[in-house]
Amino acid sequence: MADSLFGQDYEPAGQAQLEVTVRARSASCAVFSGHKWRQQKQICKTTMKKHTKKETKKVLLTAALGAAAACNTHAYDLTLGTNIPPITVHGTASQGYLLSSDYNYLANDTKNGSFQFSEFGLNVSMNPFPRTRVAVQGFDFDVGNAGQYDPFLDYALIEYTFNDKVGLRAGRIRRPAGIYNDIQDIDLARTFVLLPQGMYDARWRDWSAGLDGAEVFGDIQLPTHKLGDISYAFYAGQVEMQENGGIARYIDGTGMAMVSTLDDCPAYGGQLWYNTPVDGLRFGASISYLANFGFTVSSGGVLAHSIGDSLTQQYSAEYLWKNWTFQAEFQTYDYTGKTHYSLSFIPEGSSNDNPDSWYGAVSYRFNKHVQAGTYYSAWVDAGQKQNDIAVSLRLDLTDWWVFKVEGHAIEGTGLLRDMVDNPHTSNNSYWYMLAVKTTFSF
Amino acid sequence: MKPTLKKLGLVFVLAGVAAFRALALDGVVIANSSVAADSLTADALKDIYTGKTKYWDGGQAIVIAVLPDKTDAALQQACGMDSSSFKTFWQRLAFSGRGQEPKRADDAAGLVALVSSTKGAIAIVPADAALNGVKKIDIK
Repeated sequence: MADSLFGQDYEPAGQAQLEVTVRARSASCAVFSGHKWRQQKQICKTTMKKHTKKETKKVLLTAALGAAAACNTHAYDLTLGTNIPPITVHGTASQGYLLSSDYNYLANDTKNGSFQFSEFGLNVSMNPFPRTRVAVQGFDFDVGNAGQYDPFLDYALIEYTFNDKVGLRAGRIRRPAGIYNDIQDIDLARTFVLLPQGMYDARWRDWSAGLDGAEVFGDIQLPTHKLGDISYAFYAGQVEMQENGGIARYIDGTGMAMVSTLDDCPAYGGQLWYNTPVDGLRFGASISYLANFGFTVSSGGVLAHSIGDSLTQQYSAEYLWKNWTFQAEFQTYDYTGKTHYSLSFIPEGSSNDNPDSWYGAVSYRFNKHVQAGTYYSAWVDAGQKQNDIAVSLRLDLTDWWVFKVEGHAIEGTGLLRDMVDNPHTSNNSYWYMLAVKTTFSF
Repeated sequence: MKPTLKKLGLVFVLAGVAAFRALALDGVVIANSSVAADSLTADALKDIYTGKTKYWDGGQAIVIAVLPDKTDAALQQACGMDSSSFKTFWQRLAFSGRGQEPKRADDAAGLVALVSSTKGAIAIVPADAALNGVKKIDIK
């Protein structure tokens, strides 16, 4: 049975990579029977034990944050002394469930239902000096094979605001792009469980969410308030790619190669918002350039090193009118790269990728407890597509507890990105997904 | 004749601008006694409640305090957002590292006490709240 998972000639590139593959493909170590698979069986048992520990940690963390939220619906303020500014603490914990009619999407076994969809965040902030703020957030998440409950530093920044027009923040920051990029994994900050995945792929946050660098930001009033104002943020820095992040898992998920190295890469970009004089109406444009993004994969003993540049443009519109929220975004992405092989007789290859995605969304808040929403999203790339109609219900049960249930009707499979779990895909397939999520916060 | 009509037109325009700028707030704006300002324009108040202005003139951090449910109408008048949108707006800023969520109180007396004890705090309280230990901010 293990042969059918890996192929009779399979040779794992490394223990770490085998662990990942085992987690992805095997629900039971019993598949590794026989002398040939003895080592793999041991690795499987170790991996399953680690995964169980992480699942336990996840449950305990959710329970702890839920209890903290129930005990105190407001942020915690830690006072260190009479002349020391207080430290403000906030947290959030989300647990989701995904069930699909066909294919395994985002998580590993959604055809049978999967709880591999969790996020935890804890942040502290303070104003130690005039016009200065320090903020740190730790984060932990799991979406299928990405995240794997390995906690990391989400942001750690120091910010100085010269005036309303100019401020500077430096450290590890979240990248602004469109309506949702810098809060793409914060469930309580939106109506929907799943954002349009062609634009905000839940597995790719290591690629899209943040960078180590600096950002200049501010608001510029147009000559009078009657013309509105421009909000801006421009950044430069380095994106840290994660070994268990979405990009690495995407490459592993092809079933044809495994990631050996994944390089951090420089990133530059910015976001502009025109806040019109009409309350709630704004238009945005963002650009993001990643330079020299490089990675090495191994396949059948051959190493292939790819390096390339990507440019992402995104255009947004949002209107909050009474209890209604209207949103629309368009994103276009261009990647150009070259690949060099360890075998000299294999010529250098080149690659280009140019997907486009867009969506329109509407939501309505009936009262402070009930909000409903729907969106249509589309993603297209070289003949591949995935269109999605989502209908969502959000219940704010209390100030600190949110529950959501959402249905998706999906056409196409272009975003599945995991050939191992989905060997047969079709642009013409229609399938469905249920997404449920609950979030505690304080 | 023409100069008189011109002056009359100017008066009407200025009256219109004044009417547009005036903010009829269903509540009273209060601040901690450390805040130097005695008045704010409606636009300045909106900039505070939408996170565009984060610090008072002296560099002290602005701490917004809110009373959910009781002052929703005033909040809408001040910043154009209902209480749910306002909460989501600030949650986005806090969890993206771009701001700090407003502090919340359970009742008017608690809100006044919170503002009184928090340097740089500002809040909108019901018009009949007892303003002990805080200063009133006029909205122009």
